[in-house]
Amino acid sequence: MAAAAAGREEEESAVREPLDLIRLSLDERIYVKLRSDRELRGKLHAYDQHLNMILGDVEEVVTTVEIDDETYEEIVRTTRRVVPFLFVRGDGVILVSPPLRTT
Amino acid sequence: MAVPVNPKPFLNNLTGKPVIVKLKWGMEYQGYLASVDSYMNLQLANAEEIIDGQNAGQLGEILIRCNNVLYIRGVPEDEEMENAGGGPGG
Repeated sequence: MAAAAAGREEEESAVREPLDLIRLSLDERIYVKLRSDRELRGKLHAYDQHLNMILGDVEEVVTTVEIDDETYEEIVRTTRRVVPFLFVRGDGVILVSPPLRTT
Repeated sequence: MAVPVNPKPFLNNLTGKPVIVKLKWGMEYQGYLASVDSYMNLQLANAEEIIDGQNAGQLGEILIRCNNVLYIRGVPEDEEMENAGGGPGG
């Protein structure tokens, strides 16, 4: 019984790695959250262990918060642009996910 | 006196369980820890983003790049369900 359980645990750690599941998203649209309050949605063409990525047909959303000097009101702005082909350097990546349908 | 638990066994034992991952940048992600690799990149399932202690969105399946992680903590199973349901009480 103990041997079977240990065998199962070994199988679990060997088979499923986080990057293996990004591999399943190749050629699919994904959502990437980056440093500097940026988000990308595009088609994943390639990636590597650093999470450098090649994305196609990608929309970038940059979020900024302005504070009014007088009213101290927070103004949230988003800036969008579309880029047909993009190389993303991995060190800026926070998280990767299949795209959200809500926004 | 507890037997010493090292980081890798701790993480391996945490897979499949609800966890909260806090990032260095302040946000947190709650979900089931699906897998970990040797760099401690994390894969979460049914993940939700928590900013300033408030739910900021359901993300589903996510990969968190290892360098962003401040810490990971296990969350008791019933608490995770309560948070997900957003029900009263507790």
